[in-house]
Amino acid sequence: MRERLRVALKGARRPPENDSAFLLDPHRRGVPGLERMRRFRPHETVDMLIVGAGAGGATLAQRLARRGWKVLVLEAGPFWDPDEDWVSDEAGAHELYWTEPRVIGGQDPVELGKNNCGRGVGGSMVHYAGFTPRFHPSDFEVRTRDGVGADWPISYQELKPHYERLEQELPVAGEWWPWGDPHGYPHGPHPVGAGALRAWEGARRLGIRMCVGPVGIANGSFGHRPHCIYRGFCLQGCKVNAKASPLVTHIPDAIEHGVEVRAECMASRIETDESGRCTGVAYLQEGRERFQPAEAVAVAGYSIETPRLLLNSTSARFPHGLANNNDLVGRGVMVQGAPQVAGRFGEEMRMYKAPPPEINSEQFYETDPSRGFARGFSIQTVGPLPIGWAEHVLADGHWGQALREYMRDYNHWYTIGVLCELLPRAENRVRLAEETDRHGIPIARLDYTQCDNDRANIAFAKQKLHAILEAAEAQDVLTIDRYAHLVGGCAMSDSPGCGVVDSDHRAWDIPNLFVTDGSVMPTQGSANPALTIMALASRLAERLGDKRIRPPVRRRRRVGVPA
Amino acid sequence: MAATARRRPPEGAGHLPKQGGSIEPGPPAELPRQRRGTTPQMRGRYPDYDVLETIDHWDALTRRVVLDRVAMVPELRFFDEAEARTLKAFCDVVLAQDAEPRIPVLALVDAKLYEGRLDGFRYDDMPADPETWRQVAAGLDASARESGCEDGFAAASSELRHEIVERFAHGELDWELPVEKAWTVVMRAVLAAFYSHPWAWNEIGFGGPAYPRGFARLGAGQREHWEAPPEFARDPEADVHERGLE
Repeated sequence: MRERLRVALKGARRPPENDSAFLLDPHRRGVPGLERMRRFRPHETVDMLIVGAGAGGATLAQRLARRGWKVLVLEAGPFWDPDEDWVSDEAGAHELYWTEPRVIGGQDPVELGKNNCGRGVGGSMVHYAGFTPRFHPSDFEVRTRDGVGADWPISYQELKPHYERLEQELPVAGEWWPWGDPHGYPHGPHPVGAGALRAWEGARRLGIRMCVGPVGIANGSFGHRPHCIYRGFCLQGCKVNAKASPLVTHIPDAIEHGVEVRAECMASRIETDESGRCTGVAYLQEGRERFQPAEAVAVAGYSIETPRLLLNSTSARFPHGLANNNDLVGRGVMVQGAPQVAGRFGEEMRMYKAPPPEINSEQFYETDPSRGFARGFSIQTVGPLPIGWAEHVLADGHWGQALREYMRDYNHWYTIGVLCELLPRAENRVRLAEETDRHGIPIARLDYTQCDNDRANIAFAKQKLHAILEAAEAQDVLTIDRYAHLVGGCAMSDSPGCGVVDSDHRAWDIPNLFVTDGSVMPTQGSANPALTIMALASRLAERLGDKRIRPPVRRRRRVGVPA
Repeated sequence: MAATARRRPPEGAGHLPKQGGSIEPGPPAELPRQRRGTTPQMRGRYPDYDVLETIDHWDALTRRVVLDRVAMVPELRFFDEAEARTLKAFCDVVLAQDAEPRIPVLALVDAKLYEGRLDGFRYDDMPADPETWRQVAAGLDASARESGCEDGFAAASSELRHEIVERFAHGELDWELPVEKAWTVVMRAVLAAFYSHPWAWNEIGFGGPAYPRGFARLGAGQREHWEAPPEFARDPEADVHERGLE
């Protein structure tokens, strides 16, 4: 009975303490009421200054504002209005990506930009596909279990209540989830397209279990967010407001509770005083440098920009950058190995329809000694649009007439991919390059080289994709090697020698500096990171709000810019 | 049919390059002439499909962006004349654009480079993308001259141009630039330009922006009412005759 009631009410239930979906306008997509948004004065000391309005920053802001904190969020990119700023077009989505100059190196360089870097309010979740799986309990203790990577200083159980709460807020739609810590989702699974059904059948024949979801896309309307229209442009920003991103899930409620989101403000330095505490953040707005004082600073710029900001915040006291006394800032950046294999079928699949995230398997997530490498991968679906499909065809070695022929065959193809857990390595790191950007700030350089375990994992997972498509009776296959997601770079740890922040996201060296984005992850699992980034920020906010963390010491309010 | 001799002939897939389909330059056999709308070279798998007939169902912003791509071909501002001649020839080879109408790929790339709309990363052993393009232009000409064509890549025979591009694709050219990475840099831009163009969407049967109306028919072989079926193995000459389209 209770279950039936739950199902009947699923679209109508409000998440606790978050009215975002109801604060949006039913007929327009932009966040309403921005003209009423609180504006802090230039010299007003805020309780928490957050750098970055993505998954980590927006969630922290919304939570703290509900607890009565004075919160300011600086965001380098624009405050998006999906009606005015986004187009239903692949090339036209260029503005959504972080395209400032960066250098990539190492033996296996990681391409940045549209693949993994967002800008603007909502962050990378504006253009993520929408998969929102939880991490497994095993992810938090891979060193103990598997002898690789690092253990987290927190356990799955500490994040679990935040996972549950966020799954209601996004909300997440999917089937009962049998892997990791088994759990259900507040919304039922979305319908599945032709290609995913074929791939699913292939997997079934091999004894591989796949389930629908989990995706951060409401199944049905949700508050004032309309139903998904299955147009397939999830990676280009959801003009419908059906797909969850902080822009629609947390920013409206944050603003309603007194948060100021100051967009188009590029943080350049975190300032500190003689005692080694943060005093606020210097940033560039319309070419002018400004400063906002704060009791505490939380950096949420993701795995490249967070280390970059910390490394650039040098001073006599911190000559190597903030929180970097042990030369750990920027180290241990991780990406997931994400090869994709496409299969050709006799019937039209038209993979541009339906959201790209459809079905998922975490059957190979944990270590299986018989595979000969540690940890594993998850199998997911993707639905590349024409430009993405062209890159896929090119990667398989085709150009000219051959490329055109495979492209003309687009509607007969379907694509599946994996996310392989690659291990954290100290030499995979973000540093400052000598070059500077248009603001005069040194640009970031990311070096990446895989280890043998990584290569073995990717090779095995790729074979699995081929096997599934073969079992699905695909007539031809095309393969692309690529990476997905970014995490790590400011790992949380249980001792200062092993990481940049403690289990409360607080920099080991600096009592009022926090890092609250994906860069704190010591390992990455084979799950898409968005939900976990939000859950970490939610947990931190709860601990700060409950004063379970020694609150940043309050000083007399000080006016003026520090020297 | 090319498919008959193969080990396991995949029914209906014999036109694919890895299944024995032809990849020779020149108009592909068995590919229908486009009858509706425009495709590059007026051939395509969906001869009766024109995505631009659905623009009334797109949001105004998207409509403007896509229609501008067709109607407002930007003047070249980044490449000089000699570079443009070489690179246009290169784009024609890598995209098999061997006849009009052509999607003006180089103009779209030129606008992107001129306006500094770059992709957000550069390999540590490579120059920035705009400079890479210039060096590729110089490299193509140098490679053509090495093979005896003094007037550069654009003036080379079709065979020589294909041979040089083939070596470029395999990283076998001896340039100062890391050739394999240069290939990915230029091809990324070329493909993004070509397949952002609605003429290419017509050719491949892509449903288009579909906002705000979306898609409702997700099943195998299902189509929205405005989508069209693909056509295989229709003789273009006979087809025109049979339909009385002369």
